[in-house]
Amino acid sequence: MAVKETLEAKQHIASPSLAGTDFKEKLRLFPWWIIGLVGVFVLTAHLILTRASYQDAFNFIRAGIGVTVQTTLIAYGLALILGLLTGLGRISHNVVIQNLGTLYVEVIRGVPMLVLIFFIAFVGVPAGVSLLNRLGEWFLQLGLLFIAQPLIQIENNAVPMTTRAIIALSVTYGAFQAEIFRAGIQSIGRGQMEAARAQGMTYWQAMRYIILPQAIRNVLPALGNDFVSMLKDSSLVSVLAVRDITQIAKLYAGRSFQYQEAYVTLAVLYLMMTVVLSALVKWLERRVRQDERST
Amino acid sequence: MNEAHEMIQVINLRKRFGRLWALDGVNLTVRKGQVIVIIGPSGSGKSTLLRCINHLETPTEGEIWIERQKITGNQKQLNSIRSQIGMVFQHFNLYPHLTVLENVTLAQRIVRKIPKSQAERIAMQHLERVGIADKARSYPAQLSGGQQQRVAIARALAQDPKIMLFDEPTSALDPEMIKEVLDVMLALADDGITMVVVTHEMGFARAAADEIIFMDYGKIVERATPERFFNQPAHERSRAFLSQILSH
Repeated sequence: MAVKETLEAKQHIASPSLAGTDFKEKLRLFPWWIIGLVGVFVLTAHLILTRASYQDAFNFIRAGIGVTVQTTLIAYGLALILGLLTGLGRISHNVVIQNLGTLYVEVIRGVPMLVLIFFIAFVGVPAGVSLLNRLGEWFLQLGLLFIAQPLIQIENNAVPMTTRAIIALSVTYGAFQAEIFRAGIQSIGRGQMEAARAQGMTYWQAMRYIILPQAIRNVLPALGNDFVSMLKDSSLVSVLAVRDITQIAKLYAGRSFQYQEAYVTLAVLYLMMTVVLSALVKWLERRVRQDERST
Repeated sequence: MNEAHEMIQVINLRKRFGRLWALDGVNLTVRKGQVIVIIGPSGSGKSTLLRCINHLETPTEGEIWIERQKITGNQKQLNSIRSQIGMVFQHFNLYPHLTVLENVTLAQRIVRKIPKSQAERIAMQHLERVGIADKARSYPAQLSGGQQQRVAIARALAQDPKIMLFDEPTSALDPEMIKEVLDVMLALADDGITMVVVTHEMGFARAAADEIIFMDYGKIVERATPERFFNQPAHERSRAFLSQILSH
C-alpha cells in the first residue's frame, strides 16, 4: 500500500499539469517564513500595546538595548583588529609568531564561550593587571616615571565588569575571526604575491595593496555573519552582571515574577535585531557579488 | 656586442626541490641588449632558472649577479634589485581589484615613490606602446587573455627595468591571441631591451633571439645562435627535442 502511494506520488511529480506549473512553482518558491516572522513581530507588538504586563516588561527591558549594542560594537571592532593580526600571524614565516597564533586559536576554540567569559573576567584580567603593575615597577627602576606611574596605579578591582565583558568577547571572537582572515588570505592565488614581490614590493606592501583588499572582500559575508553571532553571544555577558538586555530581563522577571512577559520580550528583541542585521549582511553579500560580475 | 657589459651572471646555480635537483650547475651570462630564449622539455628547469634570476625562488647553491650587484644572499637590496627587473608570467597575474591604469601605476608609486600624475603619464605611454591605452579604465576581468598579457607587459615596462623576464608568456593564451603578444615582444626586442624569454614559440625564438639556450634535466645542454641551433643542433638531445616539436 505504502509502496503504491509513493509510486503515485512520484508520477505526480514527474508529470505536473503544464498550466499549473508556473503558479505552483511560484507558490513553492515564495518565502513563507517571512510571513511567519512578521507574524511573530505583529503578535508581540499587539501584546505590548494591549496588555499592561507586557508593556511594563518592554519598557523595563528596552533600557538594556544600548548596553547590548554598545558592547557588541566595541567588542566586534577589537575582535576585528585582533583577528586580522592573528590571521596574519598564522601564515607568518616566523615560527614563533605562527605557533603563538595557532596556540591562541586552538585554546579559544577548545573552551566553551561561557567558561571563557568567566575565565577572562576573573583570571585573565587580574593576571593582565598584575603584569602591567610589574611592568610599571620595572619602568620605575629604570627611572621612567611618566610611564611607570599610570601602570602602577591600575587596580584590578577598579576594572568595571563591562570592560571585562568586552575584553572577554573580543578575545573569544578574535580567534574565530583570525581563521576567517587566514582563509581569506589563503584563498588568493600565489601568483598575486609573486607578481607584487617581483615588482619590488615588500611583503607588507604586497599584503596591504594586493592581498588584503582581495581577501577582505572575499570574507565580508563571513565577517558579517560573525557580527550577528556576536550580538547573540553578547547575552552571555549577563553572567558578569553587565546590564545588557538579558541581564535586565532576568532582573525584571525575578522582581515581578512575570517570567513569560520578560522572556517573550527578550527573545523577540534579539530576533528583531538579528533579522535586521542579517538582511544587511545579505545585501552586502549581493553587492560584493555584483561588483565581481561587473569587473 | 662584445663591449656591452654583463647584465646577468649566473654562476654554478643549483636549486633543489625535495630530492629533485631542478637546476644542476647552471652558468649563464647575459649582456646588455641581448635577447636570450630558453627552450627545453617541461621539467627541464627553464622556469626555475628564470625565477631564480629575480629571486622568486631562492637558489640552493651558486650565485646570481645583476649588473655587478650580487643578488643571492643580499636580502637588504633585494627589493630595489627586483624593481629593476620586469617579469611577465604565464598567467598574467594582474591585480584583479585594480583598473588597468592602477595595475601599471601601483608599483611605480609605492616602490619608486613617483607622484601619481607622473606615474599615470608613464603608464599611459607604456599602455600605448602595447596598443591598449583605450582600456586604461577597465578591470582585468573585462579584457581578453591577450589584452591582459599586454597589460602585464606594460606593467613590467613601467618599472623602467634593465631586464625583462618572460615566463612562458603565451602558454595560457588562446591561439588567436598569441600573435598580438608576440608582436609586442618582437618590438621590444628590436628596441634593444635585455630580455630572457622562456617559451615554446619556435617562430619567435628564430625571429627575435640573439641566442638560444636549450635546457634538459636542470642543465644547459646547448647554447647557440638561432640559425645554428635550428639548422645544425650540436647535441643529440637538442636534435631529439627539435624533431619532436617540429614534426607536425
